[in-house]
Amino acid sequence: MELRGVVKILDQTYKVGDVVKAKIIVIHKMDTGFTKDKESGKVFPRFYMKEITATYNGATVAHFDLDVATSQNPVIQFPLKVTGPGTLVVDFVNSENEKAQKTVAITPAG
Amino acid sequence: MERRSFIKGSFALATIGLLNPILFRHGLSAAEEAIEIPYNDLLNDYLAGKKAEDGSSIMSLNIPEAPENGAVVPVEVTINHPMTADNYISNITVLTTKNKVNKAISFDLTPANGIAYLYVNVKMGQTQDVVILAKTNKGQIFKASQSVRVALGGCG
Repeated sequence: MELRGVVKILDQTYKVGDVVKAKIIVIHKMDTGFTKDKESGKVFPRFYMKEITATYNGATVAHFDLDVATSQNPVIQFPLKVTGPGTLVVDFVNSENEKAQKTVAITPAG
Repeated sequence: MERRSFIKGSFALATIGLLNPILFRHGLSAAEEAIEIPYNDLLNDYLAGKKAEDGSSIMSLNIPEAPENGAVVPVEVTINHPMTADNYISNITVLTTKNKVNKAISFDLTPANGIAYLYVNVKMGQTQDVVILAKTNKGQIFKASQSVRVALGGCG
């Protein structure tokens, strides 16, 4: 299954030097390995989003290590200081080593 | 007789598990294996022999005290700490205290973040505390917690 995720900048307008908030939503199960299917009784294996790395113009600005106590379809917000126009690249890796990448343009006004 | 041998076998397995917790947790465990991670282990790993300072004065937490559903508990933390090149928060970790797996997220920051802030959704199986740990680049550790009353558990 393809990994689906969304990355966006929450602030509508911002200038160079402002701190904006970036939001990451990943559509992904966070199965702990303890829950069972109610009908068949089969245990759902441990399957979760493992690592998220955000890179802004070539430099790593945020690295997240997740574990199964994060909710299903994790939502994360983190701050970012705008230093100039560019792109924010976010890489996702899950526990099965499946990878995905999302980018969002950073376009400061003025 | 069969029952007896079954009990013996399960005892033997349990003993191996007790003797080799590290082996089971890090070495042999496949990704799909269920692993319990107790809160104290995570805390001791994080502290690594140091003492945590009370961070309740510099951290402002925004966590609902009684969320509708334990499956999605929004945790928001802002740390009032400088983020300059030589003095900044380098890691924020969110833990729970009574889930089977207590690690929610570990966030590595750099001064490029501007402020120390994190929002994340956590799931909680029962009424317990959310513990926020923050580490500075100089190795200082701050700790703050809040109890959350959960009526409907979010994980099995």
